[in-house]
Formats: sequence, structure tokens, C-alpha cells
Amino acid sequence: MASRLVVFSSLNQVALLKRDLYRSGVYVEMLRTPLSLSFTGCSFAVRCQLADVALILQSCEKRLIKPGGVFDETDETLKTQRRVFSEDELER
Amino acid sequence: MIYLDNAATSWPKPPGVVRAMRQALTGSVGNPGRTSHRSAMDVADNVDECRENLAQLFGIANPLRVCFTLNTTDALNLAIQGMLSPGDHVICTSMEHNSVWRPLVALQERGVELSIAEADTCGVVNAESVRRLLRYNTRLVAIIHASNVNGAIQPVAEIGRIARASGVPMLVDAAQSAGSLPIDVEAMCIDLLAFPGHKGLLGPQGTGGLYVREGVELRPLKQGGTGSESKSPRQPSIYPDRLESGTLNIPGIAGLNAALRYLFKIGVARIAEREEELTQRLLAGLEKIDEVTIYGAALGSPRASVVSFNIRGLDPGFIADKLEIRAEIACRPGWHCAGLAHQTLGTQKTGTVRLSPGPFTKMSEIKIALQVIEEIARGK
Repeated sequence: MASRLVVFSSLNQVALLKRDLYRSGVYVEMLRTPLSLSFTGCSFAVRCQLADVALILQSCEKRLIKPGGVFDETDETLKTQRRVFSEDELER
Repeated sequence: MIYLDNAATSWPKPPGVVRAMRQALTGSVGNPGRTSHRSAMDVADNVDECRENLAQLFGIANPLRVCFTLNTTDALNLAIQGMLSPGDHVICTSMEHNSVWRPLVALQERGVELSIAEADTCGVVNAESVRRLLRYNTRLVAIIHASNVNGAIQPVAEIGRIARASGVPMLVDAAQSAGSLPIDVEAMCIDLLAFPGHKGLLGPQGTGGLYVREGVELRPLKQGGTGSESKSPRQPSIYPDRLESGTLNIPGIAGLNAALRYLFKIGVARIAEREEELTQRLLAGLEKIDEVTIYGAALGSPRASVVSFNIRGLDPGFIADKLEIRAEIACRPGWHCAGLAHQTLGTQKTGTVRLSPGPFTKMSEIKIALQVIEEIARGK
């Protein structure tokens, strides 16, 4: 199943959305945004199914949260970008 | 010990608070927003749950507008100093605690204009007097909800409607009311709500918060790490990150969250009812002692669970010592960090003895306190 990453500025936003979605019966995973997609620096994301993206965006609208983007995890470009960072760099 | 000092900090704490704090130090640990390991994400979940619970308690639509602070003073300074600039005008009441009065006087010395709405002899302000003080450059109305000196309750909703109609944000100091009296920020037109975690909310010390209504913007007093927008040299504009620089008090927030779960179980209305019953019993007993002067609203009138009194010819410190020695009664004598309120009540020279029952106070303890006060008053 193709999964998506919806990226946000802050973990506070992600944690609130996760709770909102859980109440709607949708489970999403919170994670740190891959550094290749963290355009503004440290940020967090939810990993979800493609089918749930619309609901997540609705929740964002309700909570006045502006997402930083929706990314396809299977996207080859994304994978390439992620490989730019070595394990050591990610650790730092 | 008979603990009648809940206005300073509530005690005991509900079951679950200590356990939650211990768990925060020994179970899931981590610094939310800084990393993404499972343990830190669990901590983030708990912080978010606490934020949501606070929002629910105060009728706040968006939990992200609730910012954690160290205490009410911290929250009030954030609001007052983040809002006002030289040339602005601010209105407060003559019953304010030093946590409002001192920042306002400090700002007055830097060019902020200050007007004080005078309270009556019971410590209550007429909302219309606030309306009369409004000016073209009024930028903030700062109101204490319930006095920490005598429990006087201000007509916050009425003042809020006046301020809202004039486009002026209203800041409410809920140090003595949060968790003890019902608060609904929408119904009461509150734009900024400063509250402690360790008093009526029954959480640990070192916790508190500030609600900032959507559309009200504050200058942060601190800049630093927020775990968000890290590449930018500027503080994020998103809430609560904008006002939450640095690591949060995670064990404190865990304890506060456990206390909030308890509060929801019992209900603020039930706690308010219980505290009113205890306070009225205390007032009724004190009124029967001729040597005692009580400050504030008459018996039967609404007030928070704070009672200030004096015994003719006796120093409040002496009375407090006697109460402790004779029956291990914990109370607070003095000026209660509220010099302006004492000017209003006419007790600036003497101070008062303050008794503040809490949700766990027993009626039998009130009876013992009254008996000892009577003995002290009669010189026994």
C-alpha cells in the first residue's frame, strides 16, 4: 500500500492531529520528517495511507494548521534525496 | 496538619499525580520535539493530551493556543510584556496581585499609561468603571478573576463584553479560580488566560499556562529552541512554539495531566460547590467572634475559597504562629504579594491572616480552626 508523509512545522501540531484522527478511527504514525524534506529545519510528519490524506487535510483546516506538503514515500526522487545523508550525518 | 493554605498551593494532590511524575522520570523519557524515538513520541502524546485537557476545561477551541509556562506569574508577564509598548494604555483593577501590578508599574516607567479601576470596600470592581477608563490607545484590560487576598470575584464576563466591543483584548489572571470556579473563555470574552497548574488544578508546582486567543499576537519574551523551523534565525510564528522555547517541564506536565483527569472525574462545579460550603461555614463561624474583622463580601455572597481576617490587637503573624502551634493549622499571614489589594481593603498597615480551604478540606477541620481562632481571640 502506498503510504504518504504529511509534513508539519511542529510536533505539537502532529500530536494534536494524531489524536484527532484516532478519534475518527484513523491511525497515523508520528515521525521526524526525513531531513531531505525538512525544508525549514527540524520538523515532524505523519505517515498515513493515501486514502486518509483528505481526512488529514480536513483536520488541518479545522485546527488552522498549515501542512508543509504531502509526499509519496515510494517516490524515487525522495529516496534519492534521502540517500544524500550518511548514517553519521543523520545521527548528528 | 490542617492545611488551609490552598491559595498558595493546593495540598494534598489527587491520587495519580505522583505516580505520573515518577513514570515521566523512569518510564517513557525523552524531549518531545527534539527527536523521534518511540519514548520521546510517547512523551509528546502526554504533553498534547494535557494541552487538550486544559483546552477542554476552559472551553478553548484550539488546544494549540494553550502555551505551557512555569506558573501564573510567568504567563502574566508573557502576556503583559508581550502585548504592551510605550504609548499604549492599559487598565487593571485595584485588586491585582503583584504579578500584574509590578509588570505594569515597570512598563509605566517605560512610557506605558496605566489606569486603575477602583474596587469597592469588598474588593469588587464595577464593570462600567472599566468602560469609563477606556481610551483611544487602550491596548489591554488586565483583570484578576478572584482575589488571592479575600476571594472577591470580579465580573469578568461583563468586563470582557465591554472590552471586546471596544476591540481591546482582555487578560484574566485565573490564579485563584482555575479549577475552583467554572471558566469558559468564549462565554466570558477572555482573550488571554493565565493560570497555575499547582493551585485549583491540583497539579505540581512549576506548571502553569497561558491561553492566547486566535488573532491576538504577543512578542515572545524568550527566543530559542522549539524543535521547529530550526533553520530560521527567527522565532516561529506558530503556536504554541512561539511562546515555548526550551525544554518543557515534562514531569510537571505529566503530573498536571493526571490531576486534570481527576478534576474531570469529580467536576469543577462539584469542587466549587464543596469549597463554597466550607468557606461559608468558615465565614459564619468567624462572624460570631466579636474580636474578628473579616474582609470582603458578606456571608452568603459569592467569593472564591479565600478568607482574610484579623483579630483586634493581634499581629497576623502571631495568630498564624498560634494556629500552627496549637492545632498544626497551616495558613498564610501578611500581605499576600498584593500591596495594591491591601490599599483597597484598608489593610496595608496590618496585613491579614488568610485561610483558604481546598477540595480535600474536611468540615471537621474548619470547626477546629474556628475553635482555635476563638481561643486566640479570647486570649485563652
